[in-house]
Amino acid sequence: MAGMREGPAVRARSIDAAGRPEAELVVGGGASDEQISWRDPEHAILGPEAASGAANRLSRLVVGIVRRRMSDGLMVREVLIDGWRVEVELEAEDRAALRDRARRGAPAGSTGGPLAIRAELPGRIVRLLVAGGDQVDAGQQLLVIEAMKMLNELRAPRAGRVGRVAVAAGDGVDLGDLLVLLE
Amino acid sequence: MLVANRGEIAVRIIRACHELGIESVAVYSDADRHARHVRAADVAVRIGPAPAGESYLSAEAIIAAAQATGAEAIHPGYGFLAERATFAAAVESAGLVFVGPDSTAIAAMGDKLAARRLARSVDVPVVPGTLEPAPASDPAGVAAITAAAESLGFPLMVKAAAGGGGRGMRRVPAADELRGALVAASEEALAAFGDGAVYLEREIRPARHIEVQLLGEAGGRVIAIGERDCSIQRRHQKLVEESPAPGLTTRQRLDVHAMAVRIATAAGLTNAATAEFLLDEAGAFWFLEVNSRLQVEHGITELVTGLDLVHEQLWLASGARLSAAALAAAERAGQPVGHAIEVRISLEDPARSFLPLSGRVGRFSLAAGPGIRVDAGIEAGDRVPAEYDSLVAKLMVHAADRPTAIDRLRRALDESEIGGVQTTLPFHWFVAASPDFRAGRLSTDFVDEHWDGPAARATAVSRALLAVGLAARSENPSRGAEGPSRSTDAAAESPWLAAARAEGVDRWPG
Repeated sequence: MAGMREGPAVRARSIDAAGRPEAELVVGGGASDEQISWRDPEHAILGPEAASGAANRLSRLVVGIVRRRMSDGLMVREVLIDGWRVEVELEAEDRAALRDRARRGAPAGSTGGPLAIRAELPGRIVRLLVAGGDQVDAGQQLLVIEAMKMLNELRAPRAGRVGRVAVAAGDGVDLGDLLVLLE
Repeated sequence: MLVANRGEIAVRIIRACHELGIESVAVYSDADRHARHVRAADVAVRIGPAPAGESYLSAEAIIAAAQATGAEAIHPGYGFLAERATFAAAVESAGLVFVGPDSTAIAAMGDKLAARRLARSVDVPVVPGTLEPAPASDPAGVAAITAAAESLGFPLMVKAAAGGGGRGMRRVPAADELRGALVAASEEALAAFGDGAVYLEREIRPARHIEVQLLGEAGGRVIAIGERDCSIQRRHQKLVEESPAPGLTTRQRLDVHAMAVRIATAAGLTNAATAEFLLDEAGAFWFLEVNSRLQVEHGITELVTGLDLVHEQLWLASGARLSAAALAAAERAGQPVGHAIEVRISLEDPARSFLPLSGRVGRFSLAAGPGIRVDAGIEAGDRVPAEYDSLVAKLMVHAADRPTAIDRLRRALDESEIGGVQTTLPFHWFVAASPDFRAGRLSTDFVDEHWDGPAARATAVSRALLAVGLAARSENPSRGAEGPSRSTDAAAESPWLAAARAEGVDRWPG
């Protein structure tokens, strides 16, 4: 496992099952003793662990092929590790830093601007408790989603006026679908 | 035979039909047009749009599909219409065979309160609680039920009389939450089962969940062929099951089997059913309920007994007596040989309270080899709709004894890879490696007491980031993370893939 080349730093950021940024790691600078061996382009197995039996292994890791995500052109890799599915975005560290700076420069809109409340679980809208134009308090119930047998109440994260209700009772919603726009 | 279900159980029943030379008819909603059970069957009939209420729960559409295809029998699987006595009665009156207990027995057992009264009448201990429906809205009734609750003591459970699968169930820690729990459970039960009746039960805790597999023939003969421990649950839904239940004495085993047979005999149960009990710390069994259908976890009983329960169901439904093999299994049930464990693979996020997920499954490669059985309802590339249960596959292992079965489970999980959507696999990895599980320290609180999903995920994520970050840097240091491929020959594939392919050849030792 010699001959690992040095390159520019890479930022790897994982995305959770709801599609939100989760954790990140910057790999770069200096030589390293990475123990990664390629068996084929679709499978990487952590070196020292690959040889031992299932009972002694620290982790089992399967790395999917790199795909370019259509929406933003980022390189994304799916990793399966001990049953977990981890989606990792990969970007050269210098580019990632530029992107972060651009994001910080935008007006901080979290308190005054509109807030899009999206479905955090797939399911079906059972009941709507607000309509466009309603004034709601923080914590007030907005709607009820039935997700696999359970009724889940969705509450307003802050006070505001309901700008738009994007769903109707009986609608099926998927993860990330817009439900209510809070102004 | 028409299979009035979907997913892994529909596939499993269709397989049994084909083994017996019976033609199979699948039914499907619009969300399942390309589902695996549709592809597995000889004939498939569309029965309605995606919502279960308009498709898999539509008795009329299903019976019409049976008549249109010339099916002579309907197997309901589990869930959906399996325990609706009105459905069984409608099937019977349409001149078709319902594969399961007859409609009167389903009605008697489907009402959990009636089942509790019946169990008491044959001297089986029932979990202390009420035996009549608790009113949720009538103020005078609420006062009476509050008094009953005070005498039982808190915490207690509110349960739906028509309930099952954890729906219409609420834990009530203190008196001031009783009213709200009654209303919520009643509303959920009404939505799920069309019946809002609820009752109270004392909470027995810590407890193990033990259930007994029963087979019955027309004329009243019922046998118990073994028990299962299904203690590891979340939201009152099972995650891991095993058979036989570890740590029971032969005396305990025979006692609980006999209790189950007494209840089923009194209820006139035929075909296949399961009686559920709680086992408290003192070693006493308390009757919970009877499920008058095939259970999700029937496969582990099949592995231990060598029976095929769907075959048995079909023979019994055709009017045959209990098979010689089934009677022999009942003889051995007190001293079972071998051990089987099942883990339920569902699309859920174990880092976020097992939140159900849906979406397209990518890589889907489950274990194989000695002692492994996989019952799956999907294949790689299938889209799993949000409308239905999140269970996609059951991974079962069988070995000569429990420690060997656990070792085999670890090996099987190590071989299993599912991509595209998060599944319950990480939790199963944890269970298979858990010293408490290996020691047989099982309880319905296992998940709450032992599982820290966010921490387990954080460990896995940090390893994944390290591996992928290092790989990315080593694969293609000059252009990998920058942008589109500049090479002319790789328009269709990423530069990393191309580089990895080239380097893979260079670096593979030997």
